[in-house]
Amino acid sequence: MMSFFRKVLYFILFLALWEAAVALLGIKEFILPSPLKTLSHIFVPQLAAKYKWPLHIQATLLEILASFFITALAGNLLALLITWSGFLKKIVTPIIVFFNSLPKIALAPLFLLWFGYGLLPNTLIAVLVAFFPIVINTSTGLETVEEDLLDLVRYLGASKWQMFVKIRIPNALPYIFSGFKIAATMCVVGSIVGEFIASDKGLGYLLKDAQAFIDTPTMFACLILISILGILLFGAISLLESKVLFWMPNVSDRSAV
Amino acid sequence: MKGSRLQVLMQSTRRSIQKNIQSALVVLGFFLLWEFAVWIFHIPQFILPAPSTALNHLFIPRADANYNWLYHISSTVLAVGLSFLVTSLAGILIASALAWSNRLKEIVLPAFVFINSLPIIAIAPIILLWMGYGVVTNIVIAFLVGFFPVVINTLTGLEAVEEDLLDLVRYLHASKLQIFIKIRIPNALPYIFSGLKICSTLSIMGAIVGEFIASDRGLGYIIINAQYSMNTPPIFSSLILISLAGALLYTLVALLERIIMPWKSLEAQP
Repeated sequence: MMSFFRKVLYFILFLALWEAAVALLGIKEFILPSPLKTLSHIFVPQLAAKYKWPLHIQATLLEILASFFITALAGNLLALLITWSGFLKKIVTPIIVFFNSLPKIALAPLFLLWFGYGLLPNTLIAVLVAFFPIVINTSTGLETVEEDLLDLVRYLGASKWQMFVKIRIPNALPYIFSGFKIAATMCVVGSIVGEFIASDKGLGYLLKDAQAFIDTPTMFACLILISILGILLFGAISLLESKVLFWMPNVSDRSAV
Repeated sequence: MKGSRLQVLMQSTRRSIQKNIQSALVVLGFFLLWEFAVWIFHIPQFILPAPSTALNHLFIPRADANYNWLYHISSTVLAVGLSFLVTSLAGILIASALAWSNRLKEIVLPAFVFINSLPIIAIAPIILLWMGYGVVTNIVIAFLVGFFPVVINTLTGLEAVEEDLLDLVRYLHASKLQIFIKIRIPNALPYIFSGLKICSTLSIMGAIVGEFIASDRGLGYIIINAQYSMNTPPIFSSLILISLAGALLYTLVALLERIIMPWKSLEAQP
């Protein structure tokens, strides 16, 4: 495996090549802005003031965080419920699997029609996109428990509640975290697409708006900021995972899918 | 040999159909409930049309070009189909190249893994700026969204080979090409198909989002257009068609998987 240092080196080399290529080949700014030019649209005060970056970053960040917390709570709760009750599982699981296979992003315009403009529809779109993977991951984790272990504690007179708290939930934690990671990307995608379709603030809105003015450096700047928001959320989850699952040897390669 | 293979295929298909009938009934029940709820509570059509209204909308003959369904369906199907084909071929080829050359892999793979963790769909407006309106733009967007999962899945499969097996055939003087064709590629097949399944969903998402942000045709265009005029039934009609297209593509991939790897479906369903 390559060291972190070398990866960073490659990344910087890539940016330098890009910068040089734009300068040497005389590529027009509206086609492909250089990295420095892009960054100047965020950091040079005279240029950046026009774009109200804090407002847009705040809007998008709020949507991403709200949708992530709603999805994480509701998704895990539903997964617990359907694993707890056999009857509920029979009814709900096929519907969950069915919806999980649909291209849910296509529902986005419908949400705008139902809930109007603003943060609410974008957050709900992100929830819709991220919800089903979490339910499926968590319930997979709650169910893939060794039968022998369950037999043993049943024989020892453990209650259903005890089995959940002491066996099923700890067993599901790795799956829950892998669900969180999928949901983190999905929440960003959902929020941004919501902002594309209709919004008056947020990085997705600004990206779409800048496109109308052929303001390419701003578009790239939005892209960078969106990526950073996504990476921060993903990183926070990974950090939490390594703290909670400190006993697991290789935390990175597990998934229900 | 051929006959028994077909038998195995049919047997496993029959088994999975039986397993799925119960699920299908529940989903059908969900739609019936929806249908009745709309009639009983008199929910206005522009908020939530009944499934039957949405279905019906597909079959009303109208001169209006907006609802020339065949035209829009063919546009979306073309975008999804082409992008899926290009993505899967390019993804598998590039993953093979990366697995073949360590040097290339060291440089390219970190970038791919990094890009794969980003919300790629956000690049859609930039592609639109570069390429203008049209089906090709949507194909490129769908390609970018689906490409990285295919590469990473395929590469994982090509590399997850038992070291002992490699040692053995190396000792028997197998060439690199032989190792690739006889060991690595068969070993990668399950990973490739799981990548293709992910890609089938992502291709549709990419194409639809492309049609949302700029297009003058396709089912995504109909949805956006109907949203502007608060005409809800065609939104649901389009959703039905998009879901069908998605289900069809997924089924095709699953069928191909069964044909190429008949042994897997037997293992999965004891």
